[in-house]
Amino acid sequence: MEQIGYTNKSSNLDAIFAALADPTRRAILSRLVEGQASVNEIAAPFKMSQPAVSKHLKVLERAGLIERDVEEQRRPARLKAQNMAAVIDWLNEFKVFWGASFDQLDEVLLTMKKTQKKDADNE
Amino acid sequence: MNELPEYKLERIFDAPREMVWRAWTDPDLLNRWYGPGAETIIHKFELKPGGSWLNEMKWGEKSNYQKVIFQEVTQPEKLVWHHYSSIDSDWNELDDNPMMPDWPRVLLTTVIFKEISGKTNVCLTQVPMNATDAELACFADAMANMDHGWGGGYAVIDEILAELKA
Repeated sequence: MEQIGYTNKSSNLDAIFAALADPTRRAILSRLVEGQASVNEIAAPFKMSQPAVSKHLKVLERAGLIERDVEEQRRPARLKAQNMAAVIDWLNEFKVFWGASFDQLDEVLLTMKKTQKKDADNE
Repeated sequence: MNELPEYKLERIFDAPREMVWRAWTDPDLLNRWYGPGAETIIHKFELKPGGSWLNEMKWGEKSNYQKVIFQEVTQPEKLVWHHYSSIDSDWNELDDNPMMPDWPRVLLTTVIFKEISGKTNVCLTQVPMNATDAELACFADAMANMDHGWGGGYAVIDEILAELKA
């Protein structure tokens, strides 16, 4: 089966963000953190029909966040978290990079000012 | 696309501009703050147009390499560089970003230093350069979602990452 994860050439971030924006889908992902589950098992805690859950699973699958076993009849869904983890790690690194660096720059400037003051006092 | 997606960060530092400039352009000071939580090793630093800054960031065993080519160096008010983040340990450009294939290969980075009564306003912007449509879309998506916690998925992402690292 062709993988529709982030390894595709086209940008998939939009699909990932859209998939994550829905609280039910986030809850489904949380459920799948514990292990693979069939549509029935996923639907149980939600007051939702199986077709509704199947629809959410399709969105998650298209975003490359989960995969479904085609061999087994109950088609359990399973987290494909490595993809997402890699993407999110990368984005988080970018997001905090300059901000956190600027925090550290504040500290360096403080030290520079102290050193300069000490030098001036010693003169 | 009419307007390029842009990353922008602006902050006021409580120090005179000459000092802030020095912290940005002296590699022995730069490596103390650039790269959060990492050991930053500056392998080369040529502060002039066309000159390169070869940077390694080490987290334990893991290293991340970046190459910067300076375009404009106007002391003490402006730095412009091309920022390459898909780099191997021999400072060659990779075809694709290993983490994210559509991440822009080059970011045009501009840093403006303005002195305001003894303090310094630093404004940094990054925009994709010579980017493909896919790269522009990827960067635009990332920027658009940055302030909204990646589609509100932070909690579940944390949970999943914690699970993976367990």
